[in-house]
This record gives sequence, C-alpha cells and structure tokens, in this order.
Amino acid sequence: MQTKIKGLSLWCAALTGATGLTLAPLSQAVAAEDARINGFYENATYARDGVGLSKFRNTVQLEGEKRYGDVGIFSNVSVNATLRGTYDGVYDLNEDEYGSEAGGPIQLQDLAQGSVPHGGGLVVPGTELGFDITENPNDGMVVLGEHLHPQDNGVAFGVPVRPCDVDSRGCIDDYLDKDEDELRFQEFNDHLDFIRELYVDFDLNFDSGNVLSTRLGKQQVIWGRTDLFRVLDVINPVDYSRNNIYDELEDIRIPMWILKTDYRMGPTEVFEGFAFDDLNFQVVWNFDEFRPHDIGQCGQPNVILDAGCFFRGMNNLWENGGTVANFAGATPDGGLATDFGPGQIGIRRANLPSWKLSNTQLGLKLEGVYGDLGFSLNALTYRSQLPSLRGGIPAENAFTSETAVWPSLIAFDIHFPRVNLVGGSLDYYSQGIDTVFRFETAYTSGEEFANTLRERLYSESDVLRYVIGADKNIFIPFLNENQSFLFSGQIFGQHILDHEREQRTYGEAGIPDWEHNWIGTLLIQGFYMNNRLTPKLITAHDFRAQATTLAPSVDWIVTDNLKLTAGANIKVGDGARKFDDCRSCNPWDPFTQTPGVVNHQPGESAGLSGYEPLGRFQSGPIGMAQEEDEVQLTVRYSF
Amino acid sequence: MKHNKMNTLTRTLIAGCTAGMMATATFAEEAVITESFYPYKTETPQFEGLQPGMVINQDNVAQFKEVIDPAFYRFIEQGWTTITVGETTSFDLHPNYVEATRVSLGNVSLGDKVGEINGWQAGRPFPQEPSADDPRAGEKLAWNYKYGYNWGDSAAIYPFYWKYRDMDSGDVERTIKFNFHFLNYKGRVNQEPTPEITPNPSDLFRAIYVQVLDPADVRDTQLLIHRAADDLKRDNSWLYLGFQRRVRRLATGQVTDAFLGSDLMIEDFEGYNGRISDMNWTYKGTRYMLMPFYNHNELTLDSETHQDDDGYQVVAFSGKGGCFPNITWQLRKVYEVESVPVDESHPLSKRVHFMDAQTFTIPRTVSYDRKGSLWKTFTIGQAHPDHHLPKNKGSGVSIDDSFSMIDVQASHCTTGQFKGQVDPELTPTNMFNVQYLRATGS
Repeated sequence: MQTKIKGLSLWCAALTGATGLTLAPLSQAVAAEDARINGFYENATYARDGVGLSKFRNTVQLEGEKRYGDVGIFSNVSVNATLRGTYDGVYDLNEDEYGSEAGGPIQLQDLAQGSVPHGGGLVVPGTELGFDITENPNDGMVVLGEHLHPQDNGVAFGVPVRPCDVDSRGCIDDYLDKDEDELRFQEFNDHLDFIRELYVDFDLNFDSGNVLSTRLGKQQVIWGRTDLFRVLDVINPVDYSRNNIYDELEDIRIPMWILKTDYRMGPTEVFEGFAFDDLNFQVVWNFDEFRPHDIGQCGQPNVILDAGCFFRGMNNLWENGGTVANFAGATPDGGLATDFGPGQIGIRRANLPSWKLSNTQLGLKLEGVYGDLGFSLNALTYRSQLPSLRGGIPAENAFTSETAVWPSLIAFDIHFPRVNLVGGSLDYYSQGIDTVFRFETAYTSGEEFANTLRERLYSESDVLRYVIGADKNIFIPFLNENQSFLFSGQIFGQHILDHEREQRTYGEAGIPDWEHNWIGTLLIQGFYMNNRLTPKLITAHDFRAQATTLAPSVDWIVTDNLKLTAGANIKVGDGARKFDDCRSCNPWDPFTQTPGVVNHQPGESAGLSGYEPLGRFQSGPIGMAQEEDEVQLTVRYSF
Repeated sequence: MKHNKMNTLTRTLIAGCTAGMMATATFAEEAVITESFYPYKTETPQFEGLQPGMVINQDNVAQFKEVIDPAFYRFIEQGWTTITVGETTSFDLHPNYVEATRVSLGNVSLGDKVGEINGWQAGRPFPQEPSADDPRAGEKLAWNYKYGYNWGDSAAIYPFYWKYRDMDSGDVERTIKFNFHFLNYKGRVNQEPTPEITPNPSDLFRAIYVQVLDPADVRDTQLLIHRAADDLKRDNSWLYLGFQRRVRRLATGQVTDAFLGSDLMIEDFEGYNGRISDMNWTYKGTRYMLMPFYNHNELTLDSETHQDDDGYQVVAFSGKGGCFPNITWQLRKVYEVESVPVDESHPLSKRVHFMDAQTFTIPRTVSYDRKGSLWKTFTIGQAHPDHHLPKNKGSGVSIDDSFSMIDVQASHCTTGQFKGQVDPELTPTNMFNVQYLRATGS
C-alpha cells in the first residue's frame, strides 16, 4: 500500500538539508582530530506472543561533532548534533493489530443479556442516555484491557485503536493524536524530533583553575546513579512508546532545549583539614515548551500501563458517548451495560502547559567526591511528565440533562501539575567486600494521584522515592575462567506519604497506588570471546503487584561495525488487579445510588471494584504488560 | 703545651678521618647512583656471538637461550617470530629524577608490612643493587618500578590503538582506539608543581584517565582511576558509559578481569598495575638479556593504522597472527623478579617480570596459570625519547611505544600501538576529576 506522509516531504527536505549542512563542512575535515561524523543503521524486529510482529523498526542515526578549541574568551568550544529517523514497519506489516485495519466490533458485558454490542446498552426513555452510533460505530475498537483480563462484572468500554487519521475517535488534541505516518516515522513531527540533539559546549576558565562549563541546546541532562528507574533522572521526559521501560534511557529520553551550566571547582578545600576531591555546582534551565512522557497511543504496540487506551476510550466517551459495561445498577455481580451520551463522562481535554517563562523548569545540583564517597544534592522545580486526571469539570447529568459540576463524576481534564523535588545521591566503594553501593532519593511535592475518596477524584501527595543499588563482580570459574560476571542489584522504593484508603460497602476506596511499594532489579552479565559475546539477564520484580519480568539477551559483536542482539522479554506472576472503579460514586444522586448501599451519599464511593480503570495503578508497568512476552532481534551496523 | 699539641693532633686526625669517611661515603653514594642510572657508562653488555644488526631466528636461537626469556625463546624456536638485535644504548632518565634519588638516598625504608614504605618523596626509592641475601629485595624492586619515572610526571598516549587478534588466522577481530592520560600527584620532579599537586585531599599518588574513541559500540566510554599513595588502599575508579551517559563508580577488586575484552587484565597494565601488597615478591637474579628497546624513528613503521599532521606512524606488527612488534632488541641489564599472588583464588600462580635495571620499566612479563602452565606473555616495546616525537626529546622518559600480550593457551593476542607524548598540555589536572567525565561525555 502506498502511503503518503503528511508533511514528510518537508521533513525529508529538512533532514537532508540539515544533514547536508552538517556534512558539508565535516566531510572536508572528517579525518582531522577535531571533527567526527558517524552513525548507524539498525533494524529491531520483535515478535509478541499471540500478536505476531510487534516491532519492525528501522533506524538511521547520524552523530557529528566539531571541535573549535579556543574561541575568544571561551575554550573547548564544540558543536554536537545527533539526527535520528525511524520507520516502524509494524503498522504496515501487521496492520490488523496496529495499523489501519486494527480492531473490530466489540461486545460488552451486561447483567441482563450476558453481553451486548457497543451501542446496545441501556437507554432509559426520558433521559439523556444514549448516543449516535453513526458517530461512534462499533468497529475498529477493542474492549479496554481485553488483552489482559476479562470484563468480569467490571467496567469496560470500547477503545478505538486505529491511527488518528484513519479513526479520530478518542484522539486527544496535542497529546495522543498521532496519525499513521507519525506512528511509522516517529521523529518526523511538529517537535522536529529528527533533530535528536543539537548543542554547543563552551568553557570559561578562571584564574583560580575553576571552570564554568556550559552546554546550550537540545540535549539530555542526566541526574542520578540508578538504572531503569528514574528517581532523580527526571529532567527529560521519556518515550515509553518505543519499548515500554526496557530500552536504554539514552534512546528514549526526549531531548529538550536546555541551558546547563556547571561550575567545576575540582579538588576544593572548604576549610582547613576538610577538602573535597571534586566539587561541582550545576544549574539546569529547561526553557523548552513543556512535553510530557510519550506513554503510547492506543493502537501502538507499547502503551505503558495501557493508560493510552484508557484515555482514548474515555475521550471517545466524552466526545461521542458510548456503551459502558456493567454500569447501571451495578453490584459485585455486575450491572447493565449503559449507553452514555456525549459530554456526560470521559476525558474532555488535555491541558498542556503553554510556553511561558513561568512554565519553564529549573534545577540545581551540587555534586562532588569526598574520598570513597560520591554525592549529589539536587533540587528541581518541573512539570509532572505523567498526566493527572482532575475531575470536577462541568458535565451533563444523563438523567436530568443539567450541566454542572457533579461530585465524583468520572469526567476529567488532563493536567500536568507543577512538582517540586529535592533529593540527593551517594555512591560508595566498600573495599572490604569489593562492592559499590549506590543510593538515590527524591522527595517530591505536588504530584497528583487518582483518589476515589475525593470529589474531584484526585489528591496531591508528597512522595518519597529511593533506590539502593549494589554492584559487584564475581568470578564463577566453571562458567568463565578469565572474567568475572557483573551482578548489579537495585531496590526501588516508593512511599506515597499522604495516601488515603477507606473500607466501604463493597471494597476499598481511595488512592489505588500502593502506599508502600518496592521493585527489585537484578542484572547479571557475562563476557566471552574477548567481550564480543555478552550474555545478560535483566530481571525486575514488583513486590506488591507480584509481577516479574525476565529479559535474557545476548550481544554478539561480529565485527567492529556489526552487532547482533537476540533477546526475549518474558513476564511471570500476576497481571491485572482490581480496585474501586467509581461506578458506585453516586454522582447523579439519587439516580446513581448503588444497590445494597445504605444511605448512599452523593459523590461517595461504595468501593465497587473491577479491573478497569484503576487497577492498572496496582499492577504497575510490569503487571500491565503480562501478556506482552516477546522475542527480539536487533541488528546494528555502525559506520 | 704538650697536652695542647696532643689535642690539636687528635683533632686533626679525627677531622681528617671524618673527612675521609665522608668523602668515601659520598663516593659510595655516587657509585650507587651511577650504577643504578647509568649502567652502561663504563661497560657495554656482551654475549658471545651476539652482534647488533643480526637476526635471531629458529635456526640460531639455541645459541642465545641464556639471554632470551623462556617464553619468547619458545616463540622463536617455533618460528613464530624473530629478534633483530640492536646496539645497546643508554636510556637516561630525567636528571631531576636522578637528583631526587640522590637527595633521598638512604632515607627510604620498607615498613613492617608488604606495601608499606617510609621516607619516600620522589626519585627511585631503592637504587642500591639488590642482594640475594635480602629477603625483601624483590619488594624493593617492585617499589622502584611503582615509583619509577615511567611516564614522567605526566604524559598521554594520544592516541593508542589496541587490536584483538586471532593468532591462528591472523584476523583482527576488533580495533579499539583510545586516549590514555597519566598524571602523578606525588613524586613530581620536573613539571610544576613539584613535588606534589595540591590540594590532594585523598592523598593520591597517581591518576589515569582513559577515553575510548572507537569503535562505535564503546565510543565515549571513559575511565578514571585514582591511585592512593597508601598502597594498602584499593583504587577508586569511575566509568562513564556513552550509551548510559552516566558516571558509575566501579568496584576495583577484580583487577584480574580482562580490560574491555582484551587479553590484558587490568592488573597487567605497564607490566604490573596492582598493589604491591597483593603479591609476594622475590628477587631471582640479575643478568643481561635481550629486551625490546629501540629507536622508534629508525623502524619500518605501520603506515595504515594511524596518520596525522605530524607524520607520525605507529609500530608495525608481524609474525604469527600479527602478534609481534617489528622492533629491535638490545642486550641490557635486567632484574628478574617473581610475583606470586597473595590471593589463592587469583587466576595466576605467578608472574615473572624482567625489569630493565636502568629504567625500571617492565618490558617483558611471563604469566603462569594456576596449574603452573605458561599462559600469557607481555612485551612492552620501549622507545628512546630522543628518537621519537620531537616533543619527547630530552624528556628522560623511556617511551612505552608498542605492546603485545599473547595468550598462548587461547592462541589469541592483543597488540598495542602508541603515540606517546610527554606533553603536560595534553594532561591538565582538571582532566582527572570525576566531573570531567560528565563534561566530556556527549
């Protein structure tokens, strides 16, 4: 099928032009020590159990550096650029799952009839229930969460899964609204993401020997000392749609336009008898327009927490109305599938912070080395890169047609609240046991969590997060006589300090996230054939979700230019979990009172639970991907 | 008066004897310095039948068995390589290093434990000839190596090519291009500040900074090693991985790990890169041996691996698998020292080091596995600084210029081709701070 990319010609021309501009001067000096250009082509082909092809991504990346040395008062002046373009063929090769032919008609559970088709739910004459099926047809959809769990007497509704140019239902403007070409060619978008990095470095040397070292431009700024989990490393948002949490962060951080300045003091005597081996003060000003994480759009292979599907289904409900399973008169035994009209429930819009000075983000870091101890103290004021759903928006009462703010109504806008973070990190080498310990912690205020005890269905909480890691090399002679294995373990803890939870008639209500939770990771890596063959196993276990990932892989460096990586990503343990779904929140009292609940007050949840939508916060990213086992093959040719 | 005359005579005699003794002592001290730093001043090593310009090969090697270490002898015997003999020349170390040795002569002593040393500030700590009767003679020679003038106060190998080779097929499996930078914090004798860089909060003796330039999968990897003056303390090391863009502190206990998959353990660098206290050292004897010392500019060099504006070329390799440097060898005074790991789980049973008596470099090391079988042999070619880059002339540094680490059991080798530069501008102090890794990483 021939496809035409919206605006691709523009981007191709721009890329060609930018590349040409970069290459033109570099090609003349490419052999010189002060200029470098290189790159790679990579094909990543993944196959998912029960789905088939889940990735056929082809990447071309060019990296260039030009060093100018001393320029005026500045030294070590250099310009760096990284250009990246990808084409993921999965949308063409497996279009029944991820492309223009994905999805189909759906059935939704109903207490009376067993199941009804989308559009076949309860409509009560004289109310505003019901929707126009021609605007929201029963096609191109999946049932929310169907790949992971049955409806099981809980909430369920249809989610459109086709690219937004094929099916615009549920596409949230400026947030989750990619058309097919933007899915295929991820970098070619309005943010010019094909310019992955472009920055200038320059130093200013002081007579004291101290150096003011600055990097200005589109870049990644990395804080912290941990792998996989981001406690302090939160300056750049992340593209989880690329491979969930499993790609190297370098490849999935979304570079931003940032000014980063370090005042490098080196060995510094603070007062007599007390000196640091190294001391550095850093200021980071992210002056780019805010961008959230890319959590994956429903219809993509990787949709972390399946949140993108929840959002798309909810936006479709708001825009077009739709059928919700087991809703009217719901009890733990189920309820009647109900047809809601537009503007009654769902997600209305995403409020992305626009560019203005007050929306920029600022960070400070003091970092140093004191003997065997490395440390940093960090502070950052930023915007949450994860969405927060705030209820309390005006919506239509389906029974009275009155538009007002209803307590605990599942009608939301998406916000990205400002978050303030303070934290720090340490590393320490213990000679006695030849082990490096890493510690990282962050205390945030301003984060928002779903909370079915609150009328707007969210609340703020301070959060404490930390990671304790240990790295040790261990000889296992019967496996390798020449080189030790690297063992790297981490425990990541998260504590929601203003956690709320209450027992209600049918179950617990409140914040679905675990109040205290830990995730453990373990990396074991071996080295053979002069490090040209490196098998490794990465495991991660979510203790409260009881979900585990096993990711074995082998890298084979065939030549200096050619590398093959074969691997798998297997999940074991529990998947979906249930939590209060707010069907029993009684927003339109008395019409929405829940059977069996005595003196059911308006806006008060009775704790009726299901897998959707809030169970995902208990399952976590590992549990929610339980049915996404994959085998993976990556070929990279560097040049 | 008689009494006075007697007193005067006595005083005169005492003064004369004292002056004579002092003169004798000074003369003895100078003899120690001369013997240690200028062993070829009065005598050129000779061995029957050995002449500069000749080639020792499979056919005539038996004649020279006494002056070739056993591992290299075997290589020649098997026809894997040959030795081209060069004229023995003096590799004079920098006069400031010699003077520092002279100043501290007799003030340095070993501590009670292996790895402890007292009174050293700069120069060669134990310039006296080793004695077979001294049970700690080997340890003293190890200190002389550690506090040697190896790369001077600072230097860079800029760049440095490592090639991983299959010895049977001759295939080059991997080529890694580095920059290595060395900086001495203590014992400095030449570059300001001397004798120590301050502040030096962790009491460092030396620091090493490594940057990987190629190939792509390891590009931007950086390594920083801080070596404390206290030999009993382990190194502090940090690694910056380009693909993680993060500095990670390393556990440095496993110094027997292969460095970036090469045939070199981290502990092998420069001949020995561990703590003195990790080994039991034994002095085995002094003799003349053929050692890889040469004039770089007089060699037929490798015109392909490296080109630059200086017109500098690196040492070429040939022989079996391309594992042997095309260099010349000199008959030189050598101390044979054996080091046996203290740790019984160490993969080696011992190393035999052949230390060059004049420079205290370790150009030849032979390593044996736990079973006592020959495992690896390490050759570090030493180039005279006056016949190398113009900037190295007069530096008094014996330039590490080529290396070959051969794993005879795996039939595999790693070769090294250097552009060694004794140039403090390439090695600024701020390069050896952790933050430099972050600032340099892209």
